[in-house]
Amino acid sequence: MKKTLTLLILICLNLFFSWNAFSIQRFPKPEFESGYTQPDTLMPSARAEILAYMDVAVLILALSFISWLVLKKRSRKGVFWTSMFSLIYFGFYREGCVCSIGAIQNVSLALFDSSYTLPVTALAFFAIPLIFTLFVGRTFCAGICPFGAMQDLVAFKPMSIGVRLNAILGLLPYLYLALSILYAATGTDFIICRYDPFVGIFRMNASFGMFVFAGGLLISGIFIARPYCRFLCPYGVLLNWFSRYSRRHMTITPAHCIQCRLCEGSCPYDAIEIPVTETKNHDNTKQRLKRLIMMSFIIPLLMVVGGYTGYLLHETLAGVHSKVRLANQVINTEVSPLKAETFEIQAYKSSGKTQAQVLKEAGIVLSKFKKGSIILGGFIGLLFGLLIAGKLLKRHNPDYIPHKGRCFSCARCIDYCPVKAEN
Amino acid sequence: MEIFRPSEKTIRILQQLALAAGLFAFILCILILVNFYQLKRVDPLNSPAMKVMIERLNNHPEDEQLKQEIRELDLLARKAFFANRWQIKTGGYLLAFSLLIVVISLKTIELWRIKHPEIPMSKPGSFWDQRMLNMRWVTYSGIGLIAISFLVAYLSHQQLGEQMDRMGLKPAQLAEEQPFQQLNTSASDSNLLTGKDSLAAADSLVSEAQGAIPTQKEINENFPAFRGIGGNGTSFHKNIPTKWDGKSGKNIKWKTAIPLPGFNSPVIWGNKVFLTGANTTKKEVYCFDLENGKILWITPIANIPGSPAGAPKVNGETGYSAPTVATDGRRVYAIFANGDLAALDMDGKVVWSKNLGQPKNHYGHSSSLLVYQDLLLVQYDQSGNGAVMAFNSLTGKQAWKTARDVKISWASPILVNTGSRMELILLAEPYMISYNPSNGKELWRVDCISGEVGPSAAYADGIAFSVNDYSKLAAVKVGTPNSILWENDEYLSDIPSPVANSKYVFLPTSYGMMVCYDAKTGNKYWEKDFGTPTYSSPMLVDGKVFQLDKKGVMHIFSPDKAYQSISEPQLGEGSVCTPAFSEGRIIIRGDKHLYCISN
Repeated sequence: MKKTLTLLILICLNLFFSWNAFSIQRFPKPEFESGYTQPDTLMPSARAEILAYMDVAVLILALSFISWLVLKKRSRKGVFWTSMFSLIYFGFYREGCVCSIGAIQNVSLALFDSSYTLPVTALAFFAIPLIFTLFVGRTFCAGICPFGAMQDLVAFKPMSIGVRLNAILGLLPYLYLALSILYAATGTDFIICRYDPFVGIFRMNASFGMFVFAGGLLISGIFIARPYCRFLCPYGVLLNWFSRYSRRHMTITPAHCIQCRLCEGSCPYDAIEIPVTETKNHDNTKQRLKRLIMMSFIIPLLMVVGGYTGYLLHETLAGVHSKVRLANQVINTEVSPLKAETFEIQAYKSSGKTQAQVLKEAGIVLSKFKKGSIILGGFIGLLFGLLIAGKLLKRHNPDYIPHKGRCFSCARCIDYCPVKAEN
Repeated sequence: MEIFRPSEKTIRILQQLALAAGLFAFILCILILVNFYQLKRVDPLNSPAMKVMIERLNNHPEDEQLKQEIRELDLLARKAFFANRWQIKTGGYLLAFSLLIVVISLKTIELWRIKHPEIPMSKPGSFWDQRMLNMRWVTYSGIGLIAISFLVAYLSHQQLGEQMDRMGLKPAQLAEEQPFQQLNTSASDSNLLTGKDSLAAADSLVSEAQGAIPTQKEINENFPAFRGIGGNGTSFHKNIPTKWDGKSGKNIKWKTAIPLPGFNSPVIWGNKVFLTGANTTKKEVYCFDLENGKILWITPIANIPGSPAGAPKVNGETGYSAPTVATDGRRVYAIFANGDLAALDMDGKVVWSKNLGQPKNHYGHSSSLLVYQDLLLVQYDQSGNGAVMAFNSLTGKQAWKTARDVKISWASPILVNTGSRMELILLAEPYMISYNPSNGKELWRVDCISGEVGPSAAYADGIAFSVNDYSKLAAVKVGTPNSILWENDEYLSDIPSPVANSKYVFLPTSYGMMVCYDAKTGNKYWEKDFGTPTYSSPMLVDGKVFQLDKKGVMHIFSPDKAYQSISEPQLGEGSVCTPAFSEGRIIIRGDKHLYCISN
């Protein structure tokens, strides 16, 4: 009877365990009686430095090639297959790191923390795409960035999302950029890397939440082309700015636009600007000057409002930092001493630190966040001011042209143009 | 160049392949989600069956069959675990592969299918209309963002900023604070104020540096506790007068009557001098103006919850307010014989108060207070349940408490920097014990004393000294391990405390002897009989030793191998308290008056 009961228990456990997946707990080390010696766990050796420089070389070569494909060859298929190469190499082979997007944080930390040594390769990955963008537009997005390549792969039924949604979602990258710089500069966290949705796919290892986030982005990317690139990517903000002043940029037509309207619906990113031929009162010099003078007062006001808003939020933003979090827990423990103690509280008590020391450390961090948040808010205010002011500028363009900032140089629209290059 | 044109049949096959792979991927996703949900509900490491079997094994540790069953169950659980890992990994790869097939199929179809561009039916929208619409929604977004920010800031209001404001912490200033300095009793501190503007500069310093924790510079500028800095019989002040006459009024700058009696000593911070006084019915804290001796405020200490109704029984030589107050320049802290403990701000307002329980002390509680950073340190040795405690100086909340297995003590603690750490050193029969002042943990102890301990310890250059009547004078090398360097029982004290520097230790006795020993070896250099009983502890200030006897005569001599008297001025009034020092001044509490002596 006893043996039968044991067997029944074993059978039930067998059935029970077979349904469990994603177990994140580890069994304790067994006590071997046979004399077996468990091998030591070895840390993988660091990647050779020469290979890091090879990555930089591959980046330069790939950027050069894609730029040639976009500007000279004008080949959509070439761009597509180059992006597949980048997806394999920079994505699955290099597992999404180092990437240009995350390098923003390395550069920010290096600027504000003298004890941090910026890796040369991180600086290269940050600067080289920007330099190329300054000359040839956002060819990095066209076919080098593995994130963009993955999203481009699933853009089967892209559709326009309208002016309103574009206006609202288009602000998110600026916020993400500002926050990522703030958290990196204060030494708090690299939030771009922590919340990168695609690295988990490249490594086949991520938390469940991040897998869901990535899946959601890709599914939405079927209909809203490149959602991460357009509405989240902080590096895209910098590329947008640099591309506006690029020396050369991809054009829809190799020669003169004949306004045939065939390319009007070709861009999945709403980056094609329609011709502006009509004359409005906006062109009146006197009224335009009046509006610009008004904006010269509004922009500083927006910066002040933004700075004050940032000041109000600085404690909330600083709450992510471990020292500030500990200080809050210490205070809460005093207010509600009956609550169960967290690990942080237990560690704090055993360290022998006084409350004032904890608050002092948190205060220093809080001071940094106060300054940073005010600057962040001022930057956002300035951004809004410039966005509004930009809408008031004179514009006259008779052709269909890609918006130099928003265009990803993906070469989709090229095939829609019936005009051939002049001999 | 002719482009390859697949047949419609091929395209249909690709479509069906994509559909099948997509369906397979969908099913896999469902399975993974179900498994994930189940995982959240079950903890495989704590299965009930395993717990039951382990409990049975604890009750029957010799049951080999049960051990074997547990091993078999454990092995099966491990196999199940690793099977699950394999399932996860394989499932992930299958999912990735199936999705890859879907993407390749659809992308191939997209590439092969000819798509002719078409002219849109509708007319192109107006550029200006789109621009204005975009601008309006950017504006709306901005307003919404500000509103959301204000709402988030309001809803997630943190206590941290408020707490720091209450404590007076200024983040920018905190980063500039200097680390705790090594206390050197013989060297001159270059930061000391000099000249006639010392008080004004001190006031300015106090007003500018009102953080929650006093800096070492502030402490060095003031006289924050019984026996000065750390309670160790020293201060950094200079230009101390050596001649005065109470009868003729020479160099007596001011003299103020003290309302209630008490055997506590004066404490100075800035331009304020603090005392307490008490009798059977009243307890008061006093603040005097250092410049003119006027009483700035008197605060009664009463109506503390838990305070006993009747006055405790005390010895006439101890009284109801023997402990000296302590201050950190932000608040002044006082304790009385009935266990009432109070913190007052610098304007005399009670910030917090509590009762520690009336001490079981047949002579009356007399251990003075000390402040370390944001902690108020209280030695509370009594008959049974002796303890040393620390309270948050701002809130009064107990930070730590350490029980002490010692007898009653009337000594006061000292707080010293031994070079590698701060140590709080207490004396009580039978031990000298050192504690970490931050958390109350015991660092070391030495069995070196006996009897009813009244003198406090002295410390200098790595050596702590303990003494008591009917016991012995002992020199203890501090730290771990520690040791007794030497002992001597020729002259002993039961009330005044010794004072030491790196070379000498000066031992007063309550019957009027002063003896000088070598600090390292215990070799006696000289002894001097002042002929008058002494309860006051000597102070080592400005390169001189100041010893006040019960008749009010201040014996001033050089801290040297041979006794060399400098002067013996008379107060004109008896005293049993230890003097306090400020730049160019001495503050002495007489039996009934508070004196300020200045050149």
